[in-house]
Amino acid sequence: MRNEVREQRRQRGLSQVELADALGVSRQTVISIESGRYMPSLPLAFTIARFFDLTVDKMFDPDDEEAGA
Amino acid sequence: MMTFIPPRLRKPAVYVLAGLLFAAAWLVQGGHLWFVSIMAVIGTAAGAVRLYRLGGTDTDEGARAGSRTDERQQLVSLRSRALACNLAAATSFLGLTAAIAVKAAWGWPFLVTFLITGYGYLLGLGNYGVAEEGTPDDEDAGSQTRPSVSS
Repeated sequence: MRNEVREQRRQRGLSQVELADALGVSRQTVISIESGRYMPSLPLAFTIARFFDLTVDKMFDPDDEEAGA
Repeated sequence: MMTFIPPRLRKPAVYVLAGLLFAAAWLVQGGHLWFVSIMAVIGTAAGAVRLYRLGGTDTDEGARAGSRTDERQQLVSLRSRALACNLAAATSFLGLTAAIAVKAAWGWPFLVTFLITGYGYLLGLGNYGVAEEGTPDDEDAGSQTRPSVSS
């Protein structure tokens, strides 16, 4: 599943540590989400989307699974 | 249960408790191997310090040691525990089968382990929601088919 986390974070000039602190997760988890190795839970997906003022389907694209693999 | 202990101290505390129990077992046993209990205490202390220091590092292992895991780290830990349990069940089954085949008396610990892992699995199914499918909505009750949705 492709996601926009890395792009949105970079657009806002945030480091992975800063984003991790804001989301209440570890830096390693942010890295895993950005690289597509970990699919966040629904509550965390909503937290991420709200943090970036986007909807969940804008942040995470389930139709782009093959492209991310 | 352990919320009164600071998160970073929880795993070391459990480690110390387990180590002291192990040391006490050697001490209670007596005999010429009593000194093993002292070695166990020293090893436990060293391990607890190492665990505490690990808990302060910015790694997945550090998060686990420091009891501050997020959802991904908890999921990894859960999967690891499930794998460990599967291995324990498979190993105990093989051990029990081997003991039966050679008519050995040492098969009962394998049987106990196998029964505990099996019972633990059933207990988990009961506790974590297998029996909580709920009842269907009124509209769905009595009907297994849904009208097709035209797009």
